[in-house]
Amino acid sequence: MSVGLLVDVMLGLALVGLSLRVVTGQSLFSDIVQFILFGLVVALSWSRLGAPDLALAEAAIGAGLTGALMLMAYRRLVQGGGEDAVRIGPRPLLALPVAALTGTLVAVIGLVALGVQRVAGAAGDRVLEALPGTGLGNPVTGVLLVYRGLDTLLELAVLLVALLGAWAVSGDAAPGRLHQVDRRTPLVGALLTSMAPLTILIATHLLLAGTDAPGGAFQAGAVLTGCGVLLVLTGTLRPTAAAGLVTRLLLVSGLAAFVLIGVGAVALGRPTMTMPGTWAIYLVETAIMVSIAVTMTLLFARSRGLAPERS
Amino acid sequence: MSPAEAVGLALVVVGCGFYGAGTVGLLRFPDVYSRLHALTKADNQGLFFVVLGLGVLAGHWRVALLLIAIWLVGLVSAAVSAHLIARHARRSDRRHTSRTARP
Repeated sequence: MSVGLLVDVMLGLALVGLSLRVVTGQSLFSDIVQFILFGLVVALSWSRLGAPDLALAEAAIGAGLTGALMLMAYRRLVQGGGEDAVRIGPRPLLALPVAALTGTLVAVIGLVALGVQRVAGAAGDRVLEALPGTGLGNPVTGVLLVYRGLDTLLELAVLLVALLGAWAVSGDAAPGRLHQVDRRTPLVGALLTSMAPLTILIATHLLLAGTDAPGGAFQAGAVLTGCGVLLVLTGTLRPTAAAGLVTRLLLVSGLAAFVLIGVGAVALGRPTMTMPGTWAIYLVETAIMVSIAVTMTLLFARSRGLAPERS
Repeated sequence: MSPAEAVGLALVVVGCGFYGAGTVGLLRFPDVYSRLHALTKADNQGLFFVVLGLGVLAGHWRVALLLIAIWLVGLVSAAVSAHLIARHARRSDRRHTSRTARP
């Protein structure tokens, strides 16, 4: 057995074991921690499968951001209702048959996928052939922005609707005061001054690298959200009850830039959602990154807006 | 196997040894402070050796320097999170002698 296969088998076993422990655990907190761990193993699996773009997205969004959101939700539950609020009740009886059915479905799809013959001239091949014409080197970015732009646009709309839904559910309640880490603590201050600029640098790098190498707006937005989460947790950004004009503009900038350029193409006599050049791709990607970062940071802070806190 | 490859592999193995020791410490030490001690000390050292080994295996200065940068970022985050966990443990004055994880 080769070392690579051994690693793959270990990853596969870890995935199954962790997913079982996530849904059968006795404490909500350890379930969340194991879910984050699960996301990291998924990221490793994607990179073993030769999909670094997905691995980056899973590590940043699946494990990192979702984990942070879940831990924040856990803390609010404990703050609001004590230990009773996070107690795990009896499992629904339907869980086992549903799990069995889903497992069978996945197994059947997997078996069918193993037997599928490679079709010449499939969509993937044609993307790779046509890619040089777009000025992009990374086929994933090409698919996201050029070939399946509408899908990406709708994904952004879903993200915006999710935030609006969270706002609607949280009502007009004043943004919850968090127990914050004092940023005057020497180590926390050092973390802030070293990591916040670094996250911006890494996000910019991921965005620019996304045209030719693994990376792109979604990963960059997730890393930038990390900066936002850090600023919210240390109290550098304070949750506010109303969204200012700048916040609103930043929230919709991704959608707006995408729609304007995509529909503007029609005025130039091209098909809808075509990108008129690499500059347009950079522009749309930058706007998407900012939108994602602002949306996710607001979700994390459970607030309408954010304002810098003067100390 | 070239000498550089042998050195790189040996460094990675040494790093894994440190990780193993840190994990044993995390599982076996009695309270939160000594567990943190095991984790931060051993794992930072382990990451250093792994990074050094991978840098040697990559055989490229740019890759090696980027890996060192990753190690430095890991050092900062490990130091801060260990500090915050330890401070929280001391303030809440809770004896973390049980094996179960607690927030």
